[in-house]
Amino acid sequence: MNDCGDRCITCSDEGIPMRVVGVDADRELALCATEGGSRRTVEIALVGPVVPGDRLLVHADVALVGLDA
Amino acid sequence: MKYVDEFRDPELGRVLATEILSAVEPGRHYKLMEVCGGHTHSIYKYGVDDLLPANVELVHGPGCPVCVIPMGRVDDGIAIAREPGVIFTCFGDMMRVPGSEGSLLEAKAEGADIRMVYSPLDALRIAKQNPDREVVFFAIGFETTAPSTALTLKRAKAEGVGNFSCMCSHVTIVPPLRALLDSPDLRLDGFVGPGHVATVVGARPFEFIPADYGKPIVVAGFEPLDVLQAIGMILAQLEEGRCEVENQYSRVVPYEGNPRALEVMAEVFELRPHFEWRGLGFISQSGLKLSDAYADLDAEVRFSVPGVRVADPKACQCGEVLKGVIKPWECKVFGTACTPERPIGTCMVSSEGACAAYYNYGRFAREREVV
Repeated sequence: MNDCGDRCITCSDEGIPMRVVGVDADRELALCATEGGSRRTVEIALVGPVVPGDRLLVHADVALVGLDA
Repeated sequence: MKYVDEFRDPELGRVLATEILSAVEPGRHYKLMEVCGGHTHSIYKYGVDDLLPANVELVHGPGCPVCVIPMGRVDDGIAIAREPGVIFTCFGDMMRVPGSEGSLLEAKAEGADIRMVYSPLDALRIAKQNPDREVVFFAIGFETTAPSTALTLKRAKAEGVGNFSCMCSHVTIVPPLRALLDSPDLRLDGFVGPGHVATVVGARPFEFIPADYGKPIVVAGFEPLDVLQAIGMILAQLEEGRCEVENQYSRVVPYEGNPRALEVMAEVFELRPHFEWRGLGFISQSGLKLSDAYADLDAEVRFSVPGVRVADPKACQCGEVLKGVIKPWECKVFGTACTPERPIGTCMVSSEGACAAYYNYGRFAREREVV
């Protein structure tokens, strides 16, 4: 289990809302944090440009959609 | 938390439950399927079913990626994991799924180097850290997880990580839904559609359900009020004689999905002619394999895979549970021989599995009480 609420992402078919902390645009990666503070490196190739503070729905370390649009 | 607290509001829940009560015809039995295991989990965690009238029955669909993996596929994974020099990586729940001669976790205990990862990107990182080892990622999941695998394979190719490969067991959601709708075992009145799959594929692929089968479907989010509202929207369609795809989860799901994700999936994957689903048998064009352009990263090409079909254990009724023919507690081994600690069937393994949801939230053997 991680600290993404009380759900487990170990089968990874679970969307986790995360907030962007830092962006490496050249490598299409972003450092993102969950509400509980857990940090993961996330692929951002499938969503438009992001900036710190944006909220993303993340599946298996890939951002699928922005949550603030 | 924004987008969470307001979807767990008890007062709004009571209003929705009252609206649902007024939308149902007394004497008519409604059978609705929630397709996604995430919905099953939410329904039992929050007791959504207890807010429904007694004549609205929820049937749990095949949308849990761990639950639909057949035993033979686990055996194939273990065979690769036991190859000398291999580091085999998979999601945590997958490690506990029983094969015909034990699980990946048991194979790990016997000495195979099997590691849990949270994402394919983690597996690629392990490959880069161990250039003298072959690192294999056991990819499972629906269209929600497939883009993650696809992006990782693109990255592996671009960065020339030659010791990384993927055993692809990704599946797609539409073919099993069609198979269920064609099944004479099951008469359904409508569907709660899978919200997060729809962030990738959009709502359009579900249009065949009203068009070809005359059933409503409402794509839904995963908070309790999302599910309750979606059920209300399905019942409203039935009451008004409408039959269409509606999107309850429009705050996240664009009707057209994520075109970039679909593009990267089309580049990396192609459909298998057939794929075996636990309990559902072989379904045409329902599984993904790596495309010719990525065949050099295909673990099933790189390693010898037995590929033997293994029948499910006789005592296990996961097939009937996945088809919604029986409730988990009606299975002969539910909660006795089969528990989350020692699962016999896949539905008891994952937190999204219907049996695990019933077990973990105390639905051992009782009919729902009348509201």
